Amino acid sequence: MKKNHIGKITNIQKINEQVYSIEFSSPTLEKIVPGEYISILCDGLTLRRPFSVANFENNTVTVLFKMRGKGTQYMSNLKVGDKIEFSAPLGNTFKLENKKTLLIGAGIGVAPLLYLNKELKKLGAETYFAAGFLTKEDILGKFDFVTTDDGTTDNKGSICDFLKLLIAGVNPEKIVCCAPHPVLKLIATEAAKKGIDCEVCMEKVMACGIGVCRGCVIQIEKDGKIQNATVCKDGPVFAGKEVVW
Amino acid sequence: MVDLSVKIKDFKLKNPIITASGTYGYNNEFDAFCDVKKLGAVVTKGITVEPRLGNDGERIFETTAGMINRIGLENVGIQTFLDEKLPVLKKCGIDFILNIAGSTPENYIELAKIAQENNFKAIELNVSCPNVKCGCIEYGVNKQALYELVLMVRKHFDNCLIVKLSPNVTSPEDMATAAQSAGADAVSAINTVRGMGIKLDFINGEFRKTSVAGGLSGKTIKPIALSFVDRISKVIDIPIIAMGGIYTLNDVFEFFSVGAKAVQIGTANFTHPDIAEKLVDDLEKFMIDNNFKTIDELQQKLMEA
Repeated sequence: MKKNHIGKITNIQKINEQVYSIEFSSPTLEKIVPGEYISILCDGLTLRRPFSVANFENNTVTVLFKMRGKGTQYMSNLKVGDKIEFSAPLGNTFKLENKKTLLIGAGIGVAPLLYLNKELKKLGAETYFAAGFLTKEDILGKFDFVTTDDGTTDNKGSICDFLKLLIAGVNPEKIVCCAPHPVLKLIATEAAKKGIDCEVCMEKVMACGIGVCRGCVIQIEKDGKIQNATVCKDGPVFAGKEVVW
Repeated sequence: MVDLSVKIKDFKLKNPIITASGTYGYNNEFDAFCDVKKLGAVVTKGITVEPRLGNDGERIFETTAGMINRIGLENVGIQTFLDEKLPVLKKCGIDFILNIAGSTPENYIELAKIAQENNFKAIELNVSCPNVKCGCIEYGVNKQALYELVLMVRKHFDNCLIVKLSPNVTSPEDMATAAQSAGADAVSAINTVRGMGIKLDFINGEFRKTSVAGGLSGKTIKPIALSFVDRISKVIDIPIIAMGGIYTLNDVFEFFSVGAKAVQIGTANFTHPDIAEKLVDDLEKFMIDNNFKTIDELQQKLMEA
């Protein structure tokens, strides 16, 4: 199956000041597993923009994106019926395991976890979804536990401030998180300390999306050896304990 | 029937569309997007004697109509290439050019010998990668050093020897002439242009700066590449494989018109991962539609334009 697709925009909505939800369908895209991502060709830009997938059903991809630069500017101007060119599926997947799972997302990082949560529930896995945002208006969807930095919801602070409480309360067999690098590091370190399985979903500027250009490498430790891994192909999902933080 | 093939020394390519080193992996990675074996050739990622981890820190920076990279020659090393990558090239029937890089003349010789032992049809010398601090930059910008290096490699490799030239020089003519005098069968040009990207954020009264200095590529460097190829084609007789910002068939023709015999597609593979195959198809269609029988004939016409 080729990975180049043409998608037709079926829905685009501004969710809040900075975040959009866009849906597009492509008959040639048969499957996306949670964790796998897509890369969109943006008019006039050299590099495709990678986005995690917030949902996939009936050949239709849902992407949540936050305004960042020229790529997201292009995306925000798309209209229903417009066509886009994209590559998919790219990267690896979360492990879909029937384990009691604590999902932790920060900001737009909740996107891939929304899809993962849905698929884990289909498997019969017990999940608990915690998410942190800057303020009430930023909250993207329904979660089991929400924090806001400015205290416009009950739990004031960053998601990190509640990490120990969450782990103690949920007692998960596994933690899966998607958030900025320092947050991932903190969660992965805490999970390792407690001996809980942890998967992190990482982000980096990418060029090729298929592991050839080596532009997005991080270091991981495998078989006692430090080595490079590409976020675009070997990732974006890594075991928290293998990443050299 | 049109004949798209081109010959560089004894190396016959089925068409003049080649993918550039560092943008296409080692073998069939782009089969996810197109039919790699249809291409004239794939130039492998730059290979060194030992595996390399490359540079720390940010490695890519997008610029207006281009990008800067400072990968630092991360690669699996020649042994892993032979053990793991070469069998895939052979199995898939992909024609390839081995790109080699080194930090000492001995490195290049060792790699050239291995290429010879394996009877590889062509190698491309990376003498111009501007990324490796203590490495190959000296060869690419110093005509005497370049001459001596090519001469040495030539002694150990009988098949098609291509020298990839750096644009970061005062006199392209001197470098191209040095490569030709030392026995190169072809030159490829241009490698990336030295550049720097800076991103500034002003947060809470403080500037935060991210900068990436490395090799600039993409559409933005096409005028530099055209000028470079135009200049060297006036002073050397060996074939020129041109690259730098090629995205369309018209871009290919522009390079043919200044004397290129074949072209390489680099950064465009990131923007459009199926572009190389499309260019082969477009070229064939153009030749059929316009009654060109051979690439030579087409190039001749473009040179006269």
